[in-house]
Amino acid sequence: MRLFFSGFRKLTRRPASWVTLGLLVGLLALIIVAVGATANGANTARDAAARNLVTFPGAYGRILEFITGLGGLFAVIYGAAIAGSEWGWGTLKSAVARGESRVRYMLLSFASVAVMIGVGIVITFVVGVVAAIVGAHLANVSTSGLGDSPTLTDLPERLARSWFAVVEEGALGFTIATLARSQLAGIGAGIAFYFGESFASIFLPDIVKYMPFSVANAALTTTSSGATTSGGFGGAVSALPADQALVLVGVWLVGALIVTALFSDRAEITG
Amino acid sequence: MTGAGGTSGATGMSRAGGTDGLALATRGLRKNYGDRRALDGLDLSVPTGVVYGFLGPNGAGKTTTMRLLTGLVHSDGGTVELLGKPFKRGDRRRLFEVGALVESPTFYPFLSGRANLRELAASGAPVPAKRIDELLDLMGLGDRANDKVQGYSMGMKQRLGIAGALLSDPKLLLLDEPANGLDPAGIVAMRDTLKTLASLGKTVFISSHLLAEVQVMADVVGIIAAGKLVREGPLKELLSLEGVVKVRVRPNLVDAAIKTLAPLAKAEPLAETDRDEGWLSVHVAADRAEDVNQTLAGAGIFASGLESGADLEMLFLDLTGGNGSPNGEGTFVGLAGPIDGQDGGARAGKGTAA
Repeated sequence: MRLFFSGFRKLTRRPASWVTLGLLVGLLALIIVAVGATANGANTARDAAARNLVTFPGAYGRILEFITGLGGLFAVIYGAAIAGSEWGWGTLKSAVARGESRVRYMLLSFASVAVMIGVGIVITFVVGVVAAIVGAHLANVSTSGLGDSPTLTDLPERLARSWFAVVEEGALGFTIATLARSQLAGIGAGIAFYFGESFASIFLPDIVKYMPFSVANAALTTTSSGATTSGGFGGAVSALPADQALVLVGVWLVGALIVTALFSDRAEITG
Repeated sequence: MTGAGGTSGATGMSRAGGTDGLALATRGLRKNYGDRRALDGLDLSVPTGVVYGFLGPNGAGKTTTMRLLTGLVHSDGGTVELLGKPFKRGDRRRLFEVGALVESPTFYPFLSGRANLRELAASGAPVPAKRIDELLDLMGLGDRANDKVQGYSMGMKQRLGIAGALLSDPKLLLLDEPANGLDPAGIVAMRDTLKTLASLGKTVFISSHLLAEVQVMADVVGIIAAGKLVREGPLKELLSLEGVVKVRVRPNLVDAAIKTLAPLAKAEPLAETDRDEGWLSVHVAADRAEDVNQTLAGAGIFASGLESGADLEMLFLDLTGGNGSPNGEGTFVGLAGPIDGQDGGARAGKGTAA
């Protein structure tokens, strides 16, 4: 456990953690408030969509979709940064030279990343809800749906699904950077993978719906929320059923961690 | 003294034989990087409780050895024993009693020195909390312990790296270029610390390019070249066989002095000399200064200066191919310029250790 707590302590002191979270929170708040401020009551489809974004209880779901979408991309980058720095800075080397297990070290490092992602999701969600309330006031939209009982009942499960999905995306970045043994290469490859999957969904939708970022988006959906599409570019792919997607999220997550563990165990640490 | 084969009676070390009483032993250690052979059957015997200087030119295999000894890379053959027990892949707990600084010290730049040590201590063997502050004080970093490492000088990072290596109060300490970046006072302090550790029965294994530093600090040295051990043994024994006598004569008598000393040196051709200053450097046992002086005087040439000593650098260059002169006693070595037509410039203007 001391290794896990050590990993978490490091993350809380790491500027990259708060810069990533700040960017996500800032963008979310900015978008929601700006949308609320520009929804001026005109009777257009665009204005209706804008008002819809800040209207509760639907706003809860849209905030979570934002977290899983853009947050997923940020998680890829964050996971890559954490794993890549262990190789690039040589801190993994120091731990291994002290007799630490490579596999344990890397997996517990990722466990701390997963917890940090959970903290980030909660903070982002809370800020998003506050921003949506502000946006609703700016758009003269009622906030009476804030206390919608079925939605609130559903919310913990949806938050948990969102966390699980974003963790899976973070694991992909973590694994890619481990394979690359580099922060920059890991971040670059992770971003390319993220957008590559979205781009591929145009041509190969039946395959891409099983891919990690698509299943992460699809897993967010619950019975009551009723979303039917997924994909980083705004729903180009017909989504898998949420529960099936959730299983696949788990498969991708475990697969990524197995690759990380195997590679870390066998790699020659020469940097 | 132990060469590529042989036994040192003084230390009980043996090559490719038993490993009793050794803190660290490798037998036939091999490592390839692709087609390149980094280690080619390395046999190291490091006695317990000594400071061991591990020397070799760039690319000789020193860092690869350090990596193998700390489990960072996997060998292609041979065996390693740490503290009397086999160290194989998966025996990571053997490293709980070993402290290491391999290559450059590595830290999280956004954490303080103290926090870095605390997080490093979370890996491997458990470390008492007070140990961190003790080590920070020992390394002279107590005042800057709460500053972020990214603001540390190279020397401070090096000291922090050594503190990290000492975290588990190791029985065997492996240090790669420990004097890197240290100021003179820091080097002296480090030397004292390492000698103290050795006096406490711990074994200190130092890989270094600073031959003068190793000469001052090490009890035993091993010299590696092209992935193989070319010499190993107690430093005093090695240097007793690798001496030099420097003699100064009037510049117009240099040629005559060379002719006179040639039989003593027992080697041809004679080396160039620093004619302007009149210095000759005679590669003979250090205790033969009297013979050199007597030989010159017998020929009517009187020395205006005479120094004798032994030099690890000379031994190192001879063994690793850095010196083009023939090996062994009796070679004239120029103080400046090439030797036997090869590069002897590294020694230009350099005196001989007394």
